Amino acid sequence: MQAANPSDPYLDELEKKSISVLREAKAQFRNPAVLWSTGKDSTSTLWLCRKAFFGEIPFPVIHIDTGCKFPEIYKFRDELAKKWNLNLIVARNEEALKKGVSPEKDRFECCTLLKTQALKSLLEKEGFDALVLAIRRDEHGIRAKERYYSPRDADFKWDYQDQPAEVWDLYVKPSEDFSHMRVHPILHWTELNVWQYVKQEKLPINPLYFAKNGKRYRSLGCQPCTVPVPSKARTVNEIIEELETSRIPERAGRAQDKEKAYMMQKLRSLGYM
Amino acid sequence: MRTSKVNLVIIGHKDHGKSTLIGRLLYDSNAIPKQKLQEVEAELKKAGDEGFRFAFLLDTFEEERRGGLTIDIMQTPFKTEKHLYTIIDCPGHREFIKKMFTGASQADAAVLVVSAREGIQDQTKQHAFLTQILGIHQLIVALNKMDQINYEEAKFKKIRDKLANILDSLDYKKIPVVPVSALNGENVFKKSQKMPWYKGSSLIDTLDKTVRPSTPPTRKPLRGCVQDVYAIEGRKIVVSKILTGVLQEGKIVYFDPIGEQGRIKKIGMFGKEVEKAGPGDSVGLIVNDLKKVKRGEVISYPRNRPKIVRSFVAEIILFSGVEIESNDLLTVRCGTAEKRCKVERILERIDPINVTVDAKFPETLKNGEVGKIVLSPTEPMCIEKFSELAELGRFVVEGKKGTAAAGIVLEANVAKED
Repeated sequence: MQAANPSDPYLDELEKKSISVLREAKAQFRNPAVLWSTGKDSTSTLWLCRKAFFGEIPFPVIHIDTGCKFPEIYKFRDELAKKWNLNLIVARNEEALKKGVSPEKDRFECCTLLKTQALKSLLEKEGFDALVLAIRRDEHGIRAKERYYSPRDADFKWDYQDQPAEVWDLYVKPSEDFSHMRVHPILHWTELNVWQYVKQEKLPINPLYFAKNGKRYRSLGCQPCTVPVPSKARTVNEIIEELETSRIPERAGRAQDKEKAYMMQKLRSLGYM
Repeated sequence: MRTSKVNLVIIGHKDHGKSTLIGRLLYDSNAIPKQKLQEVEAELKKAGDEGFRFAFLLDTFEEERRGGLTIDIMQTPFKTEKHLYTIIDCPGHREFIKKMFTGASQADAAVLVVSAREGIQDQTKQHAFLTQILGIHQLIVALNKMDQINYEEAKFKKIRDKLANILDSLDYKKIPVVPVSALNGENVFKKSQKMPWYKGSSLIDTLDKTVRPSTPPTRKPLRGCVQDVYAIEGRKIVVSKILTGVLQEGKIVYFDPIGEQGRIKKIGMFGKEVEKAGPGDSVGLIVNDLKKVKRGEVISYPRNRPKIVRSFVAEIILFSGVEIESNDLLTVRCGTAEKRCKVERILERIDPINVTVDAKFPETLKNGEVGKIVLSPTEPMCIEKFSELAELGRFVVEGKKGTAAAGIVLEANVAKED
C-alpha cells in the first residue's frame, strides 16, 4: 500500500478526518458494514477503510442490487471485490423484483422497495449496528443537513428534525433506541475533492464516468433513472478540469432528486441513502 | 489548491436574517449552480413568495421552507480572495440550541447577525454567550436589515454601542460591527453607496481582514488519545489521534491514567512510516513493552503528563430532555475516554441570555439551562482546563439518545500523587 508521490496537504487533511471517523466506528460498534455502489465516492471510502485498518477492510461490504444497474457496474464490482478481497454481500429485494416493481409505475415506490427495503431486510437478517455510507454534504441540500454519525430509529427512520448534537468529534454512541447508526466519513469532501483523491491514489474507476459520444455519467444510479450529462471528459484529469469550470450540479441526471421537490427528503427520512 | 480554510458559523436571533445573509454571500460570490437557483425560483413562484429567495437556498427541508424557519444546520463553502470559508448556518430559534451548538463547535470564527430594526434580542445575547463558552475568539457583527431603518447612522450607532457593552462583558473586545442589508446586497460584498457615513469595509472585506484560520497547537504539550488497539500480523498497533504538540519517533511516552510507559518504535500514517505526527493526525503506533493500554488513554511525554483529577468544576449546557441533580452519575466523554462521574454539587445556574447568575446552589439544572457544577470521576480520569488545553478540556455527557449536555472545564482539582 504505497502512496508513491507526495500527497496534497489539503486532501491529507480531509483524509485524516475520514480515517478518524472510520476508526471510531470500528471501536464503538459491534458489527458495522460498508455500503458500496461501485461509484467513485464509495470506492474511495473503501480505499479509506484500507488505509484506516492497515490494508484490510474488517467489515462486510454491501452492494444493493436493484436488478437494473448498468452492466458495467456488475463487472466492475466483481473484479474489484476479487482484487481487494472484499467480503461482499449482495442485497436484493427478490420479492419486489418478482412483482415487477419499476420506476415507470412509481419511482418513489421503486426506490423504496428495491433499495431501502432491500437494505432493511439485510440489516435485520445480519444484525449490522452501523452502516458506513459515502454521502457528501455538497451532493444535495438534504444530505447537507447530515451529521457524521446519524442514528436511525427502530423503523429505520431519520428524525431529521431532532438530530442529536454532534460536538467536538464526539460522535453519537450506539443506543438501544437506535436500530443502527449511519456513519458518513466523507461528508466534508466535495465532488472535486473525490476526483482529486481518485487521481492522487490512482483508484480504479468505473468507465461509465468517462465520456462517450459527448456524454458521461456524473453520478451512477440505476440505468432507467440515470441520465448522462453533456461532457467531453474521457480521463480523470479531464474530469477534474471540467469540474473546476462547470456549474452543472453532479446529480443533474438523477430523476428522484427532481421529481417532487421533497422526494429526496421523504426518501431519506424513510431510510434511503 | 487553496489551503487556507476557515469554518465560519453564522449566529443570531430568529428572523434577523442569518439565512438570507448566507444566501446573499453565496449568490454574490457565484457559489451557487445555475440549476439550483432555477429550482429555488420555481419553488418560490409556486409558493407565491418573491421576498425570501436567499434563505430558501439553505432551508432545504420542506418544513423549513413552508415555515420560513431554519431547523437544522447546514455547511456550505464559498471563496474569497483570501480564504475558503465553510459557512455553517444555525437555527436561531431558542428551541434549537443543541443544533446551534453542534454547528458552532466546529467554527473558527462567528458572524453575529443582528436586525437593525429589532435590535438586540434574547438569542443575540445567548448565542454570543455560547460561542464564548465554545472558545471562539474571532467574532464579527453584521447589523442587518439596514434598509428597514433607511440606512440611518443614528440608529446604527445606538445598537452598536449597546452591543459593544454586552460583548465586552463576554470578553469580546473591539469587535467590528458592519452595517448591511442582506436582502438588497448592500455592504455585503461591495461597499454600499447608501451609507456614506460608514467608514469601515464591507462584510466580506472585514472578514478577510480580521479572520484567521486556526493554527494547529503544535507548541502545546503533547496530548494524544488512544482510539483502539489492533492486532495486525502478530503486532499490537495502538491507533491514536494526536490532539496537541508533536509526537516523535524514538521518544518515550506515557499512557494515562493507567500509568504505562513505552518507547515509540514506529509511527505509521496510512501506509507510510513517518518520523513525527502533529495535531489532527491519526496514527498507528508501535510501542514496545505495552501490556495494559486500551482505548481512552491519554498519550504524553514524561516531562508534562496530564494529571489524574479528583474533581473538576465545569460550565455545562444541557440539551433536550435532561435534568441534573446532586449525586447523579453522569457518563462523561472527553477525548476517547468515557468515565462515570458523580455530580458533587451544582454551584450556579446561569441565565444564558443576560449572562448573570440567577441561582446559587440550585437543586437541579434542567433542559436548556447553563450552569456551573462540580464533578468527581468514580474512576481514574485525566482532564485539562479548557483555557489551557481546549482539546482535552471539553466533554459531553451521554444521554439515552445521544449527547445530552456539553461542558468545558474551568478548574481541575488534582488527586494526591501516588
